[in-house]
Amino acid sequence: MTVICLDHNATTPPDPAVRDEMAACLDGALGNPSSIHSLGQEARRVIDKARAQVARLIGAQPEEIVFTSGGTEANNLAIFGSVAATKRPRSHVVTTAIEHRAVLGPCRHIEQAGGSVTFLAVDREGLLDPASAISSLRDETVIASIMLANNDVGTVQPVAALSAKTRERGILLHSDAVQAVGKLPVEVNTLGVDLMSFSGHKLHGPQGVGALYIRTGTMLSPLVFGGRQERGLRPGTENVAAIAGFGKACELAAGRLAEDAAHLNALRFSFEAALLDRVRGATINGRGAPRLSNTSNVCFDGLDGEALTINLDMLGLAVSTGAACGTADHEPSHVLTAMGRTIVEARSSVRFSFGRGNTQEDVHRAVDLVARAAEMMRKGRR
Amino acid sequence: MTIAVAMSGGVDSSVAAALLRDEGHQVFGVTLKLRECHEARGSRSCCGVDGIARARAIAGQLGIPHYVVDCVREFDEHVLRPAWDAYSNGRTPSPCLPCNEHIKFGVLLSWARQLGVSRLATGHYARLTIDARGRPSLLRGQDPDKDQSYFLAGLTELQLGAVLFPVGHLRKQEVRDLARTMGLSNADARDSQDACLVGPDQSFAEMLLERFGGESRSGLIVDDEGHVLGRHPGIHHFTVGQRKGLLVPSTGRLWVKAIRAEDGAIVVTGDEGDLYEDHLVATGVSWLGEAPCERGTDCDVQVRYRHVAEAAHIEASGDGTVSVVFRRPVRAITPGQAAVFYDGARVLGRGWIQACC
Repeated sequence: MTVICLDHNATTPPDPAVRDEMAACLDGALGNPSSIHSLGQEARRVIDKARAQVARLIGAQPEEIVFTSGGTEANNLAIFGSVAATKRPRSHVVTTAIEHRAVLGPCRHIEQAGGSVTFLAVDREGLLDPASAISSLRDETVIASIMLANNDVGTVQPVAALSAKTRERGILLHSDAVQAVGKLPVEVNTLGVDLMSFSGHKLHGPQGVGALYIRTGTMLSPLVFGGRQERGLRPGTENVAAIAGFGKACELAAGRLAEDAAHLNALRFSFEAALLDRVRGATINGRGAPRLSNTSNVCFDGLDGEALTINLDMLGLAVSTGAACGTADHEPSHVLTAMGRTIVEARSSVRFSFGRGNTQEDVHRAVDLVARAAEMMRKGRR
Repeated sequence: MTIAVAMSGGVDSSVAAALLRDEGHQVFGVTLKLRECHEARGSRSCCGVDGIARARAIAGQLGIPHYVVDCVREFDEHVLRPAWDAYSNGRTPSPCLPCNEHIKFGVLLSWARQLGVSRLATGHYARLTIDARGRPSLLRGQDPDKDQSYFLAGLTELQLGAVLFPVGHLRKQEVRDLARTMGLSNADARDSQDACLVGPDQSFAEMLLERFGGESRSGLIVDDEGHVLGRHPGIHHFTVGQRKGLLVPSTGRLWVKAIRAEDGAIVVTGDEGDLYEDHLVATGVSWLGEAPCERGTDCDVQVRYRHVAEAAHIEASGDGTVSVVFRRPVRAITPGQAAVFYDGARVLGRGWIQACC
């Protein structure tokens, strides 16, 4: 049984060209990028090339990119690093209630350490009101961290609408753009962000590598200390092969952004049309907001989303009830409850996220399987 | 058949899954998550994150899917909290019974039903038979040292009708041999019996105290004539029949005879013979099959997991209370433990032992 994967917001398979790029690094006798000799220089050149590829995708300068182990570390570096670097005595952080845990976690830690955090509400469609974000800014606010695209429902937040105000008040604007980069045209100057996190494996690069964009002139403290790699912001010998793969993935994404978006949009359009037609009691969460073209979060009235996910897995369809953040955490999606869904509705919801490799044929089979599983579950309960 | 196997990561449930797979069933593994990661860390518990990882590894070895069901809230509500209530009232809880009744064959079973499975299998040492009318009976496991029917005695016919115990007809050694033959990585792992609830350096009662907070009920240690022999730090440290940890300077040996809930006193005796009682009262009784008639009936009664059932006459009243009179006195009948009624190897029912004097 070939498994159809509609869980690309969790991870995406590396592009073959990415694999080749990485294999070349691992096969060759690359040195330590910090070494003086030619083998080291060769490794350094690999990283330089990747840094330029990554920067180009988001309209940044190469020296504004710091490689990390992934999106989570980039978010931690942005938030803790800016709070640690500030001269303000009491730190205040603004964020939203629908952030990924990689942002919520650092924010809660800052609260526990005596700082204060405002978690902004969103409307029923999962959208932040920029006016409420602006009015939450205080004199002691160090950083506003607003995700660009939500991982659960795909809603795209009006990050750019904040940048004039944050800049005027000397507050850093950070965006967790892990789900957006590679799916939307993301340009750091258009957005006006000072800091932006993104990740390799969400755009057909390798897992375990990501980057933080740091606008030139932004003051940031490192979280780990040691050598001078990544301008001292991320000491430790670089993961050269992963960085090379990440760079290649960014280059590929830049070249096919429009094509991918059109493809994904078409897939989702036919998926949602067919699903709503065939499965009773299905509704789309966040449908009224601008969304990522690949994400469809569906509430199945009266069904348990986790049970549906497992049933679909056994039928050969990989989907998700939400963020895949560790062993067996089955709390209902905090994103959906923040959007005003009840706990029951949140538990009844399943995320379908399409990828470059999916076809219309996959969509038709997936809808068939969902309809079959839903019918079986409804029958079984009677 | 499609069968869900409750896998703890231990050898018994692993072999259960392997046997069913080899019979040609469509099998998948499922592990209960009973505590949050930060609580379960470091415990060698079958239900903690380590157990989940071991179960997942075995499922991978068997080539079957594996899922995790989050029962943290239900486990707290049906097992941990009642257990702490019992300790706080001078009783010694038997948490494996409510866990089986409400969690494994409650929450997990209804979860499995949602997935359209035909049966839920576990690695328990117990056997099932189905009579001509299709009614299930629960029997002791084949291995007398490992028999776990005591822990399953509160299951209903409806629950038993949906379960399988694939290793119940085997001895532990046979299960280990099978695991070795199958090349399972945990074939020689030590037994996890009762380890679900115990951390590396904490007793079950201490873990509950830490979790539910409150004051531990300290009090006096008295002999059965009322003489004060000392003080103790909390009644949850004690169980009837206990000899160690009394911290009383004494010339002879002392045993806990009773735990007085009213004033938190531990009553001790220097005569082990005082621990023997010839009767008990159990409440909240449930029967598998017919309840005994009004005249009562003769059967065997087991008063704790490690106890050889003793012949007794039991009489049931309509309110779920059973009074038990043993042929021979039984040592350390302990309030809070289950009394399980057997006809030979067959389970008739179970009740909860009340303070008898």
